[in-house]
Amino acid sequence: MNMVEKILARASGRRSVEPGDVVVAEVDLLIMHDLSGYLTSRVFDKQVGGEVRYPERVAMVFDHHFSPPTEDAAAMLQANREWARRTGTHLLDCGNGNIHHAVVQRGLVRPGGIVVGSDSHTPVHGAIGAFAVALGNDSHAGTVLPHGKAWFRVPETVRVELVGTPPPGTTARDVALWLVGRIGEGGLIYAAVEFAGPYVKELGFWDRWLFPLLCVDLGAKCSFVEPDEVTEAFVAGLPAGAADRYERSDGGEASTVLRFDVGEVAPQVACPPTVGNLADVPDVAGRPVQWAELGGHAGGRLEDFRAAAAVLRGRRVHPGVRFNLVPSSRAVFTRALQEGLVLALHEAGATWFPPSTGSNQAYNMGAMAAGEAMISTHARNFPGRNGSPESSMYLAAAPTVAASAVTGTITDARELR
Amino acid sequence: MTTRGRCWTFGDNIPTDRLVKTKYVVEPMEVIVQHVLEDLNPRFPLEVAAGDVVVAGKHFGQSSGRAIAVKALRATGIGAVVAETFARTFYRNAFEVGLPVLELPGVTGLVSDGDVLSVDVAAGHFRNETTGVERQVLPPDAFLLDMLEAGGLIALARSRPELFEDRGAQR
Repeated sequence: MNMVEKILARASGRRSVEPGDVVVAEVDLLIMHDLSGYLTSRVFDKQVGGEVRYPERVAMVFDHHFSPPTEDAAAMLQANREWARRTGTHLLDCGNGNIHHAVVQRGLVRPGGIVVGSDSHTPVHGAIGAFAVALGNDSHAGTVLPHGKAWFRVPETVRVELVGTPPPGTTARDVALWLVGRIGEGGLIYAAVEFAGPYVKELGFWDRWLFPLLCVDLGAKCSFVEPDEVTEAFVAGLPAGAADRYERSDGGEASTVLRFDVGEVAPQVACPPTVGNLADVPDVAGRPVQWAELGGHAGGRLEDFRAAAAVLRGRRVHPGVRFNLVPSSRAVFTRALQEGLVLALHEAGATWFPPSTGSNQAYNMGAMAAGEAMISTHARNFPGRNGSPESSMYLAAAPTVAASAVTGTITDARELR
Repeated sequence: MTTRGRCWTFGDNIPTDRLVKTKYVVEPMEVIVQHVLEDLNPRFPLEVAAGDVVVAGKHFGQSSGRAIAVKALRATGIGAVVAETFARTFYRNAFEVGLPVLELPGVTGLVSDGDVLSVDVAAGHFRNETTGVERQVLPPDAFLLDMLEAGGLIALARSRPELFEDRGAQR
């Protein structure tokens, strides 16, 4: 069995499982953000009722609001707070950061466990060696909250092996975006996607993070990187400390192996209307942008702010661009302060926002008027997610976002003079 | 579990964001249902009738796993969604809230918007009554059909709690 199969077997009390089996398994962590938490708690209270079986295995994170902009939003957050207090679940209130980064930094996600959440990027926790899946609110309200369990179909595993060394200027984010284009949106529906190969092995934890993150765009159920010394060192540095258990493959073969050479991948931009609509940066360079942002599930990392500071050294943000900086967690903001990145980027004309999920879905920032465009590290670019359906969201890596903020048009950071 | 009605066609990779826009997700269902898929076909929320069938291309319901998107589609009264393939969160949510859906590769080549279709998800049977074309596929897994039969996952867990009781899992 591989990592996913071992976790599902253990958590369902079975000796072994095979792809296609339907199992009911014990869930180690349910994560909900401010919107899904509101919907799920209402469904639970109205249609299910009773006690939350394991409140210590449930976390609500307010990441779409770093502060409520309206009375309705305030009332929603207040209802969530009251529910969390009443049921005894974890609450990470406004200002704690993006849901996935915040629960990792808090030490709530553990290797070898099962993580579920309404957010479709929940599979990102496969980066830490967990089996992590996005479920709907009715699974959470109907079985996870009252019973601590969820049903799963054991997925087939597809191994994606990445070899080669990309050219200078191409980041892990570019490689991840490029893969969505190569494999195709919905190209691996229902699969467990294992990211492997020498390219992945050499990445640090937060660069590996970008790969399980994209599995939802491929249509996959979950994704993982086999835990190794990089994973162990990262986990040992979290508040909960070193893990006493990892599940690792004992040689079970993937049903399919896809190999890609990343040696010639150029910096990428995902253009509207979908994440799979990719172009090499030079092919779309020159398109105007009025907004740039480092933030969201795929951004707001220390790596992103370091890259932006390198691009902006000796330069300023273009007067026609608003460049938003949204740390993914408080831990990232602390490090950015310690490294002098906060002052450097502030003085270059960028604007810092509180740790949150930033402009994702424009809940408390990031709405655009018709005709406006943003380039960002966000994970989604569907029309209408950021204000007007006539606005445009481009997805890219931090160097491209920062270079575009300098010129006011989509710009290849390698060409910046 | 047969439905019969007008066919409404949509394309590939339709995200849940376009089924129910984020600005409506916490609105009452009476409001949400007036805006389902409106950006892609403004006539849909106005003219959809009970028993109608939505036919879509690949990876239908991608993006956010919001169950509200499936609940809103069900609230329009449609009898089924048939697609080339579904995003897995949409597929899972559909059975969990009691909306019949059928995966039928090639379906977009078998229909035109406005055709009359009959679909039996439990039997895996599809028929275009306008053209006479029929297809038979494997029906969904029995566990999923149990959920549909019960009226969704919450109803199933209530009627058969033993499915979700302890089975010796190790933590």
